[in-house]
Amino acid sequence: MENGDRMFCHHCGGVWLRRFEDDLQCQHCNSEFTEIIEIPPDTEEPPRHATPPLASPRRERTFPPVNAFSSHNPWAHEDEDEYDTHGFSSSPGFAHRAYRSPDGRFSFSSTTFNGSGGLSGGGGFGGPPRSSGYGTDEFGDPLMPMVRRLDTIFHGLADTYRQQGQGQVLGRESSRQTEATPARPQHNDFPDPEERAPGEPDDFGPPRLFPRNADGPQPMAPPLGTLGDILELFQQDFGQGGQRSGGGSGVRVMTGPNPLAMISSLLNFDRHGDAVYSQEELDRVISQLVGQNAGSNGPPPASHNSIQNLPKKPVDQEMLGNDGKAECSICMDPVELGTEVTVLPCKHWFHYNCIEMWLTQHNTCPHCRRSIDAPAHRENPVTVDSPEASRRSSSAIPGQSGRRWSSAYDSGGRRASSGQGQGQGQGQGQGQGQPGGGGLAEWLRSHFGGS
Amino acid sequence: MGSQKRIAKELAELVDSPPEGIKVELANEADLYDWKVYLNGPESSPFHNGTFLVKLKFPNEYPFKPPAVNFATKIYHPNVTNDDKGSMCLGMLRPDEWKPSSRVVAVLQFARQLLAEPMPDDAVEGRIAEQYKNDRARYEEVARDWTRRYANEKA
Repeated sequence: MENGDRMFCHHCGGVWLRRFEDDLQCQHCNSEFTEIIEIPPDTEEPPRHATPPLASPRRERTFPPVNAFSSHNPWAHEDEDEYDTHGFSSSPGFAHRAYRSPDGRFSFSSTTFNGSGGLSGGGGFGGPPRSSGYGTDEFGDPLMPMVRRLDTIFHGLADTYRQQGQGQVLGRESSRQTEATPARPQHNDFPDPEERAPGEPDDFGPPRLFPRNADGPQPMAPPLGTLGDILELFQQDFGQGGQRSGGGSGVRVMTGPNPLAMISSLLNFDRHGDAVYSQEELDRVISQLVGQNAGSNGPPPASHNSIQNLPKKPVDQEMLGNDGKAECSICMDPVELGTEVTVLPCKHWFHYNCIEMWLTQHNTCPHCRRSIDAPAHRENPVTVDSPEASRRSSSAIPGQSGRRWSSAYDSGGRRASSGQGQGQGQGQGQGQGQPGGGGLAEWLRSHFGGS
Repeated sequence: MGSQKRIAKELAELVDSPPEGIKVELANEADLYDWKVYLNGPESSPFHNGTFLVKLKFPNEYPFKPPAVNFATKIYHPNVTNDDKGSMCLGMLRPDEWKPSSRVVAVLQFARQLLAEPMPDDAVEGRIAEQYKNDRARYEEVARDWTRRYANEKA
């Protein structure tokens, strides 16, 4: 029906349809920071592994509020016209928005319900709903109890993970237990699904933000594996035969984000793991990453063993440097010739007591931030001050390698004191990369790159 | 404890040879962990002729944790919060950026440098940052006005 482009304003977040005669300015705030957004059509059948009840709304009108967008597939390619006839304009009760990153690599879509009932998601997604009119039908929807129940399972599962820590993969058995007893005493904010009357509005409380270690691995892969299993359980719960194509291995969530994305939209999940399916969620993750730095303290502590194993040596003439003076840059006390100091792999040295206090909090050099736990063989090519330094060391300190030095550390008995040794870009980069691929880009790549 | 010794040392250095435009004293003679710092607005900035009281509080874990830096004098600046805390956004003070080998003198010099050269991209006051970028004249006008009003010790 309408032609023209769907526009999104990055300034005010408004969405509108542009007529041909209009220019690209935002209708709401006149910002020029706007984008023609492309939203995929809903002509495509949902992917094979989509949950069967979520079929196209045009064919199964019985579930209007749930189904109206369930076939929306933000990852598929578009067909403007098709979308226009069916997008948010013809589906009262919710609005959705899509955003595509400038390089076109990621798309996010968000869906806002404006029904007054259980699935209201308006608060989380911002932006006024396109149209109103729903609010009662949801309660009659036979899917709703199931949907809520799934949500409870997810939340219970998420909690289980949080308790058990990262890296532990829950087996199918415990998943089932989670399903069976989701209302554990300490988590009674997740009500037992059996106690919840169908249609009773859910209140999930505020989004829970817990500290995120930007350097550390995100609890993504293991939860997803099990989320796949849970999806399968959920399908069995539906009593509709579940997945046709799932085989025995459950839904492979990572290979096709669509089912999760749709369910996530349906339920307006806050988040599970690091999977986000809307720009708001992404924003929240990013601001959480940024904001929590105020509270968290970066690198993890070093182990007792690795602190104990650090080589110690008396300060020699070379470590004192040209001016014959040096100080421990932690306590700032001058260090005399012959004082025993602890030397880190990066060659920076400190009083043992001083560096121990730091290392019990962070496993990095307080000077150059290189990890002290990095495997020695990887440090070989880096961190020598200068050609001059290595020449000096190889000729000038013959006795040194006989001590507790490991040979990998032996290339530059460097004078490490305040102000020195900042030129270790390479070593530093490696150190930060160590704990698990730092940085948002890495994180994005590892979680979206495959899909 | 170790922190006391180092703080005393740094204080002595700052008092003996104060860097330009920076004056340090203890807020309370008995408490080494609570400093008062007076920053003179750099000449090239709209804060010139203003004296800004900055409170420096050292944690017990110093130098393993960074000192807290807060402007007690109201200042119109993109990187200082315009509230009663006067928090300053200094990268080197963030817990995960902080290094025990950073010295207070460096922190203070950096803070003073920030008065002369705000970093609008790391702003905590977005509106002021906008203005700094888009309407520098107006920004300087307001900053000068605030300096006259709030940072003028002699008045």
